[in-house]
Formats: sequence, structure tokens, C-alpha cells
Amino acid sequence: MSAIFAFRSFRTRLLVFLLALLGPVLGVIFYYVNANNTEYTEETINRYLELGADVFDYTRQQQVNTLQAIISSLTWDFGFRSAYAANDPATLYDAALNVLDRSMRSADSLMIVAMSGDVVIDTSLQGFAELPAQWQQLLDEADASSQREAETIVTIDGQPFQLIALPLYLPRQVAWIIGGFALDAAFVERVEETIVSEVSIVRVSSEMASDVIASTLGQDQQNELLAQLQVSPDSLSTIQRIRYADEEFSTLLRRLTGPEYSEEQTYAVIQRSYDENNVNVVQFQRLLLEFYLLVLVVSLIAVMFLARSFSRPIMRLAKVVSRIEQGDYQIKAGVTSADEVGQLATSVNSMATGLAEKEKVRDLLGKVVSPQIAEELLSHPVELGGEEREVTILFADIRGFTSYCESLPPAEVLQELNKVLSVISNIVEDEQGVVDKYLGDAVMALFGAPIAGAKDADNAMAAALRIIAALESLNSALAACVGVHTGTVVAGNLGSSNRLNYSVIGDSVNLAARLESLTRYYNVSNIVSAASRAAAPDFLYREIDKVMVAGRKQPVQIFELLARQSEATPDEIAEVDAFSAALTAYRAQDWVAAKSRFSDLQRTCDNRALCQIFLDRIEQFQEQAPESSWQGVFMFDKK
Amino acid sequence: MILLKQFCQWLNKCSLNAVRLLLASFMLISSQVQAQSLRVELRDADGVPVTGAVVEVLLPEALAAEYRAPMEWAVDQVDKEFVPEVSAVVAGSEVRFPNSDAILHHVYSFSPAKVFNIPLYGQGDNVDFAQMFDNPGVIEIGCNIHDWMLAYIYVGQSRLMAITDENGVAIINDIPAGERSYAVWHARLDTPDNVLQNDIVIPDSGVAEVQLQQALQRDRRIRRAPSSSQERYR
Repeated sequence: MSAIFAFRSFRTRLLVFLLALLGPVLGVIFYYVNANNTEYTEETINRYLELGADVFDYTRQQQVNTLQAIISSLTWDFGFRSAYAANDPATLYDAALNVLDRSMRSADSLMIVAMSGDVVIDTSLQGFAELPAQWQQLLDEADASSQREAETIVTIDGQPFQLIALPLYLPRQVAWIIGGFALDAAFVERVEETIVSEVSIVRVSSEMASDVIASTLGQDQQNELLAQLQVSPDSLSTIQRIRYADEEFSTLLRRLTGPEYSEEQTYAVIQRSYDENNVNVVQFQRLLLEFYLLVLVVSLIAVMFLARSFSRPIMRLAKVVSRIEQGDYQIKAGVTSADEVGQLATSVNSMATGLAEKEKVRDLLGKVVSPQIAEELLSHPVELGGEEREVTILFADIRGFTSYCESLPPAEVLQELNKVLSVISNIVEDEQGVVDKYLGDAVMALFGAPIAGAKDADNAMAAALRIIAALESLNSALAACVGVHTGTVVAGNLGSSNRLNYSVIGDSVNLAARLESLTRYYNVSNIVSAASRAAAPDFLYREIDKVMVAGRKQPVQIFELLARQSEATPDEIAEVDAFSAALTAYRAQDWVAAKSRFSDLQRTCDNRALCQIFLDRIEQFQEQAPESSWQGVFMFDKK
Repeated sequence: MILLKQFCQWLNKCSLNAVRLLLASFMLISSQVQAQSLRVELRDADGVPVTGAVVEVLLPEALAAEYRAPMEWAVDQVDKEFVPEVSAVVAGSEVRFPNSDAILHHVYSFSPAKVFNIPLYGQGDNVDFAQMFDNPGVIEIGCNIHDWMLAYIYVGQSRLMAITDENGVAIINDIPAGERSYAVWHARLDTPDNVLQNDIVIPDSGVAEVQLQQALQRDRRIRRAPSSSQERYR
């Protein structure tokens, strides 16, 4: 469905819908108008034909009436009566011819038949010894009728004759007078003059049109008529179409002689040109089609204009939206109308403005807070409160920065600081960490918040190593000191409802900061808590000490992160083992062994100061032994 | 009888039809059933009495001469109809055709027994037009102007004739007793020449009664023109 109506343009869609609507409507109208017109034309022709047939009958009947009047008058003529009574056929024959002559072609034939059935005279001289059945039937019919008269159509010498029979009274009936006239060319021409239709009289033998007796048609058309005319009982009630060359004629049949008389019948054929009558319909059809074409063209043009008026501003808007999509929030859609498209343009403008503002906020946020936190803040509804989660906190401080800056003007100090902080921040972000905040020349970074990962502690260790290395290579005067601890914190939005800060709080944060500050004391670049060491076992650590820091009741085992396990050198591993052995002796209060080991270490190891710290402590303990509860924990009283 | 004949002649002169009919009825009643009579009752196929049929006792020529009594008779034309429609006259009688209408009539006959033709004549012009009916037979009388006008004159051999009344009864008196034959004629009798002939024994005294039933032909007369009843030209 959607595939069918998936149009490439609004204009196509409108055009298709217009055609889909207008086409059937116009088609249906055309069909009905045409059907009605055709029907009306056919009705008209059929009515003309029926009328023509009626006129044919009427003309025949009129002539019959005239014939009747002539014969009737004849029977009243006393001379004629006397002649009949005189029983003188020769005289009667002359009298009859005289009547025909004076009938002005209303009568062509006259016959007198005595009541006995003997033919007294016959002007057609057919020489009937006795009356043929068809004639006798005429007389019987007349005898049976109350009017004592009858009519029929017979064929005399191949010519159909209309006959009527009337009685001759003397004063009782003594004979029948049969008068007739030919249904010939003159007759059909007379009918044609009245009905303006073609008239033919056709003889039919065994339901086949055998010959044309009289016709107003030309010879070729007569032949066509014989070839095409259908004669069956049904064809009397139907109008036929007969084609003469390039013209079609509607054709109506009227039977002149009844079927009961003989196999041979005579039909009147009334014809009227269908094409001639259909001229108006054809003209109307053409006019209608032209009108439809005009309507379609006008509609199409209107639709094109309409579509353009719709699609142009929409296309303009689409272009604007596309630019906005690419990040150009400054572009403005021109509002040219107050309609839906105008409203849409206004909305697009508002949207662009909104997007621009939002982008500005996001940009700023990304700068103020880390991208992940910005994302977290933007993607969730901002609300106060947080959740407990385990994170690895990294504190990185720049050692030697203050002295390094002493000779620099304040603006350059900030510039230098920003440079270093940028390096640290980039490393943190590179290792999937999040810069939580800057604290002067220190950076607090989180691994595992706001998004927890599988290798948060590992990432933190990697970051620590990279930060230390980066600062060393950046400036020989500067060094990084890093503290790392892994523990439970509360992460969330802190502050007031007006001003929030995504951060973490908790004891673990403090410990991480404390560990960072201890690096100076132990002269190491970093200190990692036991928890962090456990969370990232792929690295090589040197246990430094077990300390009790302020604010914590439990001692903390602290380590120095040296390298990745895979990258550790045998010397480093050996030194870690040696240091561990020295530390074990120290904790066992085997001061002599411990002193010896630390002294040995001091000669081989880089961090002589660290060893010195333990040698000093051993010396002190040798003078004054520690309390009996001492378990190798060093107490840091000050913060 | 002579008295009766004279009375009839007088009746014919009478122009008042009603009076004449009334008197004719009297005459019929007074002349009923005498000795040596023939009473014929004629009915059609449906049993309906046939009126206007002529019954004649046929006598041998010698005997007939005794009963031949020529008479004067008149067939009037009243309101474009012949009155009476059926007449029975003895051969040798003279029949006049008076015209009681205000218009002209043209009376004719082409019947072989008597062919005549009295061209257009009016009331009072009929005096010279009396026709002699010498030969027995039936004469059909017509009017050339009014085709429907039709009268029959039955010319008999003797006066032993009678016309059936409305009951289809004809009574002939004063017949010589013995074996006789009689003829019944009616214009529509469905027999050859519209005649029926039978033998009968006439008793010395009393009445020979005959009841006949015979089909009639269809009435093929011309219908009177509807406008002819109008008295416009009277």
C-alpha cells in the first residue's frame, strides 16, 4: 500500500489523486450521458419507424377507404344494378373498366363474384374458373362480418394487391364486388413523401426475403436489403440495423399478408438512416470529450500551481532543516505565510534557536565537567541525590609547580597550568576516566562513575603511569604525584536545586587524597591503596608501608605502582622482592636483619630516601623499642 | 269474403297506421278457425316463432282457378320502410306502391317474376304506378335511394294463403278437403329457394294442424343508415 502511494513529490501525489478522482467521475458522467443520448436517439428512430409503419398502414387504409367508397357508390348506381340484373358480363366489364378509369388510381382491379361463387367479371383477366382459396376466404370473412366487408392482400401477376370485398344488393345480396389496388412503386413513393423514410415491399418465402416488389431504395441497396434482412416471427417486434455501404439504417418490418394464407408473405419494410439521426449524439459526444479535456487540463494546471505553492516553501524549509541538522543553528527560515507552512517555518526557527541554546549549554558543560558527566547530566533528568557505587579515585598533583612558576608572570602561570592540566585531563579521558574537578594544580579523576566499567581500576593504574611519564617528558622541572584508591562512594548531583555539581563523596575520596599527599613523605611518584592493588592485579607493585592516616581507624597497606606486570624488568621484580623481605624483617622487629637489608637496598635502589626512612625508624626503635602492640603500622598524626 | 276484401281495401286507404293495425287485429280474430282449415305453426331452430312467413295451399291448376281471386293491394312506404314488409297476393293482382313519406323513393324489382322500376316519385304521385303481378313467385322490392328498404311480395296461385303472425301461426280456411300439399316461404328459410313444401290431408271438417320447425339463414339485410331516422328533409 505504502509502496504504491510512495510518491517522490507532492505534485505527483496531487496529480495522481486528481486523476484518480476526476477520471472515474468524468468517465461515469460520460457513460451515462452517452448511454442516455444513444437510448434517446434509438427511441426517436424507433418512434419514427413505428410512425412510418403506421403511416404506411394509414395510407393503405385511406386508399382502401377510397376504394370502398367507389365500389359502394357503384353498387348504388341503378344503371349498374340494371346491368347486373340484365346478366350481361360484357356490359358489366365495360362499366367496371370505366370505374377503374375514373378512380384516379385508387382502384386497379375490379371483380364481381356471384353468390354462387362464379366469377362474373374480372378486369385483371386472371381467368379464374373458380375462386382461389385466398379470395374465397376474403368473401367468407366479409360474409361473417357485421359490416359485410373485408380486406386482404394478394399477389396478382407478382404484384401485391390490396383487395376489399363489398356486397351488391339487388335489393337482397346477389354478388360480391372485389376491388383492389397495387402496392407498387407509386404507392411506396406516396408513403415515403409523408414519412421521409425509405419504404420497401418485400416478398418473403419460407422466412427468406426473396425479392423486392417495390422500393424507394436504389438497386444496390435493394440487393443489400435482401441479403441482410432477417425475417422471423421475432424480427417483427425488433428493430434491425442494415448497413448500406457506409450508412447504417434502422429497419422495421410490418407484415402485410397474414401467415395463415400461404407460405409466401409480403412485408412492408420501413427504414431510416441511423447515422443521420445519430449526428447530434456524435456531435454532443465530441463536445463533451473536448469539455472534459479542458477540465482536465485546467485542473492539472491548477494542481501544479497548488503543488508548487505547497512544495516550494516546504522545500525551502527542508533545506533549512538540513542545514540545522549539519549544525548551522544561525540559519533562519523565512516566514512567508500564516498558514500551516508558515507555522512550520516559525516552529523550525524556534527549534533552531532551541537547538543552538542547548548546544551552547552542552558545549559549556563539556568544558566545565567531563564529557561523560555532561552526557549523564543531559541524558537524565537532573535531580539531587545520588547512589552508592564502587569507584577508583585518582588524585594527581604537580610537584615542583610552585617553584617552577615563581619567575613567571601570573597570566603565563595560568597558561602553563592549563597546559599541564590539559595533558592530565586528556590522559584521564583517554583511559575512560572522568575529571571530577580541578583543585588548584591538582586533578581529581574518577574511574567507574558516572559509568561503571569492567576495568576501572586497571584504567586508573594505566592513567597514573601515563600521567607520571607525561609530566616527566613535558618538563624536567615538574613531576606528578599520584594517589589511587578504590572504594565505595556516593555518586550524584550535589549542591542546591539551582546549582548542581556531579561528584562523589565519601571516606574513599579523602583516603585517595591522603595517599597522594604521602608521596612526598615516601619520596615516591605514586601511592596506591591495597584495595586498588587488589582491583588491578595486572600491575607490579612495591609494598611501601602500612600506615594509619588521620580520620581512619583501620591501618592502610600502601603500595607503589611500578609498571605493568608484562612490562616489568627482572631488576624491578628483584628489588620489589628484596624490599618486601626488608619490610618483613622490619615488621618482625628483627632490627639487625632489617637494617642490613634496607642498607643493601639503599646501595642498589633508586629511592634511597625511602630506605633511609626505614633505617631512621630502625635506629629509633633500637634505642627505644616499640609498644608491644606494634604491628609495623606507622601513624600519621597530621593531616 | 267480399265484404272482408272491401274492408281491406278500405284499410289500405287508411293513412293512420295505428288505426289500421288495430282494425287488422280485429279482422284476424274474427276470421279464426272455421271448417276445412289448415293451421301452420312455424318455429325456427331455437323454437322462436317465425313471423312473416307465407303459407300457401297448393291446388291443381284446375282447382286453383276456382280460388283465384285477383285483388288490389298496396305496399306503402312509411318512414323509409315498406309497409307491410311481407305481402301475399294472388296472381293477377294489382299492387300499388304509395309513398307516405315527404321525400322521393325509387322502387324497383329485379326479381324474375316481376321486373319493374318506378323512378323517383313523391307523395300522391303513385296513382299511375300500380303494377300487375301475373306470375306466381317471390318479388323482392327495393328502393334505390334507401338500400335497407326491403319488401317481399309473395304471388300465390290462389287465395288460400296466409302470413304467420307474431306467434308464428298462419291459418288458412275454406280449403277443399282431401290430400293437399302446401308451401311455406320465408325470406331466410334455410331451404332451397327459401321454400318448404309438404303434403297434408285436409279433413272435411275441422282443422289440420301442422307444427314446423326450420332453421333460418343469418339476417343479411343492410342496416338502416343511422342518420336516416332524422326528419330533417321531411
